[in-house]
Amino acid sequence: MKIAVSAIAGNLDAMVDARFGRCAYFLIVEVEENKIKGHEAIKNPGVSAMGGAGIQAAQIVASKKIDVLITGNIGPNAFNVLSGTGIKILTGIGGITVKKAVQRYLKGELKETKTPTTPGFGPGRDMERGMGKGRRW
Amino acid sequence: MQKIASTGVKGGVGKSTFAILLAFKLSKQGKKVVLCDCDVECPNDYLILNQKLENPKPIYQEYPELDEQKCQKCGLCSETCKEHAIFWIKDKYPTFIYDLCTGCGACWIVCPNKAIKTKRKKAGESFFNKVNDNFWLITGRSKAGVSETGPIVREVKNRAIEFAENNKIDCLILDTAPGTHCSVIQALLDVDKAYAVTEPTPLGAHDLALILELTEKLKIPSEIVLNKFDVGNKKEIENIAKQFNTKISVEIPYSEELVRAYCEKDLNRVVNLI
Repeated sequence: MKIAVSAIAGNLDAMVDARFGRCAYFLIVEVEENKIKGHEAIKNPGVSAMGGAGIQAAQIVASKKIDVLITGNIGPNAFNVLSGTGIKILTGIGGITVKKAVQRYLKGELKETKTPTTPGFGPGRDMERGMGKGRRW
Repeated sequence: MQKIASTGVKGGVGKSTFAILLAFKLSKQGKKVVLCDCDVECPNDYLILNQKLENPKPIYQEYPELDEQKCQKCGLCSETCKEHAIFWIKDKYPTFIYDLCTGCGACWIVCPNKAIKTKRKKAGESFFNKVNDNFWLITGRSKAGVSETGPIVREVKNRAIEFAENNKIDCLILDTAPGTHCSVIQALLDVDKAYAVTEPTPLGAHDLALILELTEKLKIPSEIVLNKFDVGNKKEIENIAKQFNTKISVEIPYSEELVRAYCEKDLNRVVNLI
């Protein structure tokens, strides 16, 4: 099983980054028989993207054929495409290391999220969904 | 026909005020004038002119739609999309995220299998108002949530130009949105002259330099309109004028009487105070 975790640095002892689309790193953690077997760190190119960072991030982790995503918050665009591919999304995680987050998941202490947790910063279809890059001044 | 733009980077400096007053003054002199409100995300010239927006005409934009029969799942569309509006993973069909799509067309141009069709969606409207016998107002308005409004400005401007050409209009005045982005550039294209409206503040000076840099690139002769010229630091604005080889050609005073007349929509009195 593969678990992606948003992190502030590229190792297992780094703290979980509460932001998904604009986190510093994605850690792809490989788990076998409930134990961490290895990991890969991917630098997030979307940190400074104008818009669409969530989709770009979703594409990066989904291409790694992950089963589970652990993060702090996730917006509607990324949430919809990831849940569409059958990836399990766990949110509200923060203040702990990547290793700890994965261990807690393996113990069954983290719950799956069924809806996005932030309104997103894209322009949105209606005005209530935040002020995104639509107005550039 | 002369095409004149009232523009600037900073909001609230008086771009619309200047555009309206210029149009009003020229029409008083007997010229046939069209004012085109190109601030389509927040058009409000009609409010000052005491108009209710009339004669709506829809403006459409094209968006991509996948033809699964033809798609080879190559991912080139997703790679090309600068807005990251196409989600794609290997061996899967791409998904279009319409919230992020600007309708730029890059995906359907680049698709080697012609698998991306387009569908039209309403993105905004234009309106046509007759203010008086020789003064018309054409207003553009984008739908809330449309992420790229440049194409809407192009359409509303076309409506204004078409009307102006068919009716032997002397002067077309374009009131732009604030900024230097696509919608402002679209409004500025092909104008004969631009008035860069600003105020004598550090932000006003900074933003004036930005708009003059843009009009220089677009090769549009530009002059400065300095609003509230008698407060703040005029020197900074004069320095920028020198730097860009232009001048302050209109000065609007900071006066309570003027603001009062403006709020009462008494344009005659406002023009007389400048």
